[in-house]
Amino acid sequence: MKINKRWEIPWHIIFFIFILVLLYPIFYALGFSLKSLQDAYNSPLSIIPKNITFENFNQLFTSLPALKITWNTFVIASVVTIFKIITSFLAAYAFVYFIFKGKNVIYFFLISTIFLPFTITMIPNYLIISSLGLADSVWGVILPQLADAMGIFLLTQAMRSIPVSLIEVARLDNMEHWRIMKDIVLPLVRPAVTSTSIWFFIMAWNEYVWPVLILKTVDNYTLPLALQMYISSEGGTNFTVAMAVSVITMIIPLTLYLTFQKYIIGTFVSSGIK
Amino acid sequence: MTTTILSIKNKEGRIQKIAPYALLLPSLIVLGFFMFWPFLYTIYLSFFDWNMVSTTKEFVGFENYIDVLKDPVTWKVMGNTMLYIVLLLAVNFVVPYIFAYVVEFVLQRMKGFYKSAFFLPAFISLVVGSILFTWILNPVSGPVAIIAGWFNITIPIWSKLDGWVIVVITLITSWKIWGYHFILLFASISGISKEVIEAARLDNIPLWRIFFRIVVPMSSSTGIYVFIITIVQGLQFAFTPIKVITQGGPNYASSNVIYQAFHEAFVLYRTGHSAALSTITMIIFIFLLIVEFKFVERRIYYENK
Repeated sequence: MKINKRWEIPWHIIFFIFILVLLYPIFYALGFSLKSLQDAYNSPLSIIPKNITFENFNQLFTSLPALKITWNTFVIASVVTIFKIITSFLAAYAFVYFIFKGKNVIYFFLISTIFLPFTITMIPNYLIISSLGLADSVWGVILPQLADAMGIFLLTQAMRSIPVSLIEVARLDNMEHWRIMKDIVLPLVRPAVTSTSIWFFIMAWNEYVWPVLILKTVDNYTLPLALQMYISSEGGTNFTVAMAVSVITMIIPLTLYLTFQKYIIGTFVSSGIK
Repeated sequence: MTTTILSIKNKEGRIQKIAPYALLLPSLIVLGFFMFWPFLYTIYLSFFDWNMVSTTKEFVGFENYIDVLKDPVTWKVMGNTMLYIVLLLAVNFVVPYIFAYVVEFVLQRMKGFYKSAFFLPAFISLVVGSILFTWILNPVSGPVAIIAGWFNITIPIWSKLDGWVIVVITLITSWKIWGYHFILLFASISGISKEVIEAARLDNIPLWRIFFRIVVPMSSSTGIYVFIITIVQGLQFAFTPIKVITQGGPNYASSNVIYQAFHEAFVLYRTGHSAALSTITMIIFIFLLIVEFKFVERRIYYENK
């Protein structure tokens, strides 16, 4: 171990610079969202505001239905997460604890959807959602996102780590499947379920590609779409307001990540994706 | 498999037979409706001339494919896509591979901190990332341009220049996806037996040789997975900064196959061209997958877990 000591310091320096670049935009947004436009132009390099002002947030809430937009985003992310975690959990349970005809074929087809480009489904999905009368609605955003191969994969990996003998004993005692799920499997894979749920929530919160096709009126927008409206005013008078929208868009995902990072990293590390 | 006992010892054999399908049903219904059927319908649409509104679709055989392949814009976009792939691989495959190795085997402290800091941007909206970097990298008034100005360096007007625009959009995309790839590779590398590495070190084998001779072969199946998703998902993630910042411009210089399919369908309303382009993209992705799977099966048999 001692042999490599001399390499440690240079790598720490490289990593610190790297992290500075990675995280700089986040601090930039936080700082500038609290600056007045004047302050932002006078000191474009300083991240710390001279006088903290909430003017940008005020302006945001008066110029946009920002509460409604935040609520839309929250509803979409919550509904998608709840449905996805249930569908993924059930499917994973079937794959891990049952042997059935077509198991490998079905698993292969489900997992292969991870590798499909979204463009191969976007036109028909747009047509389906339109014909259901759900274009430009929160439900139109939600519906195609209700199942997910990635969740099935992560939960399958987590369930495989449970000793099969536990389940066998329960089955020999004639325990019902739904009780095995609820009382044995769920408590044992709770960390994976928690972190997969958070992952789903954040993915749906940040989703941009599908909502941008479906949503047309500002009242139905999600946060990433509202934010997109500010790009056209590059360097214009809305600059600090755009920073405020950025902050609102990232605050919930960031808080969730920082709170649950141990679980989340653990789930991805132990899934040993191949 | 050990699970056989579940199906044999159960008295209600029929329930046991139906149960797995019932459990899969919700996922299969959703994916069937919004993934498998649309997938087939897109292939169907690629043989028709249609504008998404008109009530009739005209069957044109392979004409859409011929049109798309004859269009010089397609070839420009294909070239852009190749550049995107090369840059994406350099930043999101090579760099995280090296960094994961360094964090696991070279450093002794701060491992936890690096893991969570590297992974953090993966949780932030790429629209946020696109907007923030557009300002930070603004060639006139952004902080990077101001600091570069002190050293008499001018930042190119990247959003208007061929090549540069792809470099910057790749970097913005990488900011988002890099950490996830790092975590996957780290997971695989940290599963390599410590004794093997220790022994190699005691023999005074240089770090870079340990990396190429031991670490890369022993983590190769995850390595190949990350290689594939860098291409397949990286190109799709790049859609967001392209859409937000340049809309494919200037003159298609930042468009890739994914953005172009969107552009054909939802800007030009040529569903046939869009569907043909998507189908070609998908065939390339599937080909890539098959090649890589063959590669995994034939060449890689080291990895323990």
